[in-house]
Amino acid sequence: MGKEECKTMLDALNKVTACYRHLVIALGSTSDSQNLREELKKTRKKAQELAVANRTKLTTLLKDKTISKEDRAEYERLWVLFSSSMELLEVDMKRSLEIGQDFPLKVPTRHLIQTGMTGSTNAVAARAMSVQNMKYEADSNIDTADLRDLQTEITQVSQMMEEMEMKVQVAPWAVVAKQEAGAELKSNMSVGNSSVGVISICEEEPKDDEGGEFSKVLFVMILKREAAWDK
Amino acid sequence: MTIRTVRPNRGQRFRPRTHCLKKVDAIVVEMQDPKNGVKGSEQKLNVTTIPHAITGANITAWICNKMKTSTEEAQVFGTMLVAYGYIYPLQNHRKLVMCNDSSLYRFQTPYFWPSQQWVPEDSDYGRCIMRLTWSTLSPCLSFKQVDYNHLHEWLNHKWDFIVMQATEQYKAGRDRNKADRVVFDCQERAFWIVNRPPVSLSHSLCMFGKTSNIFYQQAIMRSKVKSSVSLGALVKYITSYKNHDAFLAPCLPSNPWETDHDAYWTLNMRRVDVPTKMRVERWSFSLFELLTDLRGRDDFKIFLKKEFSGENLAFWEAAEELKWGTASSMSAKAESIFKTFLAPGAPRWINIDGRTMGLTVKGLEHPHRYVLEAAQTHVFMLMKKDTFFRYLKSPTYKEIQKKALSPEAHNFSPAQLEENARNRSAGIHPIILWQQEEEEKAKAAAASAPVDVKAVMSKIDRKK
Repeated sequence: MGKEECKTMLDALNKVTACYRHLVIALGSTSDSQNLREELKKTRKKAQELAVANRTKLTTLLKDKTISKEDRAEYERLWVLFSSSMELLEVDMKRSLEIGQDFPLKVPTRHLIQTGMTGSTNAVAARAMSVQNMKYEADSNIDTADLRDLQTEITQVSQMMEEMEMKVQVAPWAVVAKQEAGAELKSNMSVGNSSVGVISICEEEPKDDEGGEFSKVLFVMILKREAAWDK
Repeated sequence: MTIRTVRPNRGQRFRPRTHCLKKVDAIVVEMQDPKNGVKGSEQKLNVTTIPHAITGANITAWICNKMKTSTEEAQVFGTMLVAYGYIYPLQNHRKLVMCNDSSLYRFQTPYFWPSQQWVPEDSDYGRCIMRLTWSTLSPCLSFKQVDYNHLHEWLNHKWDFIVMQATEQYKAGRDRNKADRVVFDCQERAFWIVNRPPVSLSHSLCMFGKTSNIFYQQAIMRSKVKSSVSLGALVKYITSYKNHDAFLAPCLPSNPWETDHDAYWTLNMRRVDVPTKMRVERWSFSLFELLTDLRGRDDFKIFLKKEFSGENLAFWEAAEELKWGTASSMSAKAESIFKTFLAPGAPRWINIDGRTMGLTVKGLEHPHRYVLEAAQTHVFMLMKKDTFFRYLKSPTYKEIQKKALSPEAHNFSPAQLEENARNRSAGIHPIILWQQEEEEKAKAAAASAPVDVKAVMSKIDRKK
């Protein structure tokens, strides 16, 4: 069924966009490296392929006049999700171009910012590319050579988004959210690290927050879920 | 260009100081130098150690050293760095100041630097809040359920997207090591504290909603013109004025600024007998052109005299005089205008609609410069819609069109140009011109004075 396919492709695009954002945030910091630049390049390419695939699928579905009203509403919702992902991707690509230009890797006088991040981003990139391990095979001047490609890709993405807006008439404000407020809080997310570590960060804060009750409730919920996770 | 405020001004006058901020970028990069930069240490949380924590004292000392200023200056500069988001405090993260002691700070990643010119959006904020509720910092967020519902309402159409992205970002974050995850969350939280100070979430959302609502409502109420209409008017304007523009078309006989020959100015003077063809053509473009060119106004007056409908133009001129005249003469002028044009049974009574007449008469009790504005506009419209077109078709206008000069274009040789330059003179003295004007005005006043019937009758009697 078209809807399921669409949903899976959209989820994939979403995943890649989120991973790309993680990678771009690491640019220019101490976890920046040759590998990071290559990861960015590969993730970007993957994102673009997915974007094109999504777009063709959704445009064909939306152009079809014979679908029912609920189906149409659902496709419009998916369309809004898709265009929001694309906007994010475009912004992140532009940022990565700027930061990439400001922080070339081979110049010794240009120091990377000591942000406290030292780990590598292999796992994030592997997640984006849906592979087990990342293979690195690029040459040493990838940081400058890639920037030109990046510029062309950014223009391509902008053009694609303009075309999308022209061809498909979907009002983004007319879409109603499916999820309710607070639903995701009860979902299956856990903190995943020791509660002791969590407390120690908070201890450094002065006691000046007002809405104590909600945060306390949240805290208790998280502790409970953690206990479940440990099992 | 300078940055005058220590804190970024996010109000209506927010202008991103990119140029200044680029310089700050360079300074922050210099701080990273392993040899000469700021010395870092480690932040110890219970099980994890995160490197690259710097003390406020170290930063202030480095700034002092680098910029050769006093400690207070350095501290203010440091506070600016924190307020703009280049450095964020690790303890007491809501207070954006630089303390000259052992409190710890860390550098912000370039993605979140203000020089990036990224306008933070509500949906990004929503996503961050959501992700942080699952993250390591969640108990430190003081968040009410009411505020959360507010957020859901405000960002409703993007809510699904926010949830999806937040989940994915959270899952991707789990692939990094523990220390990096903490840093990641701290960074994002610091960014949002700088860009959206959490005074009270519902209050700020409300205010934001209200101001943007007012803005959009006003935008809807503004009168709009279709671009096809306005562009058509622009094209019409350009086609009519194209040949009259001295930059775009050569002016006849020659441009005095180029050839030093002032024939163009003498031919187009105020009281010339025979105007040039271009001038006469310009009069036909609109009533405004006709009236602003005083030679054209004279011609129009001659025509109106023949039609016996000169009072409109006279009133218009009188109103202009009131507008542009001296403040001391205003009340006297207003009186005379009222007596001549507006009073019932006045000698030159103008025909304007009752409402305007009522407003003007009321205003004349306390006259000010623009008291006749409404009546003047009405009269102008009357002239434009009716008299102007009759003028253009009248024999007066046709005659002057025929009589108008079209001077030959000059063709000076370089030697002649040099001679022209040598023969440049000062032109007629303005006092002489002014005296001429005064004489003409006196003559015109005498000619248009109301006819004294008794004098005429006595003349006729004497002739007999």
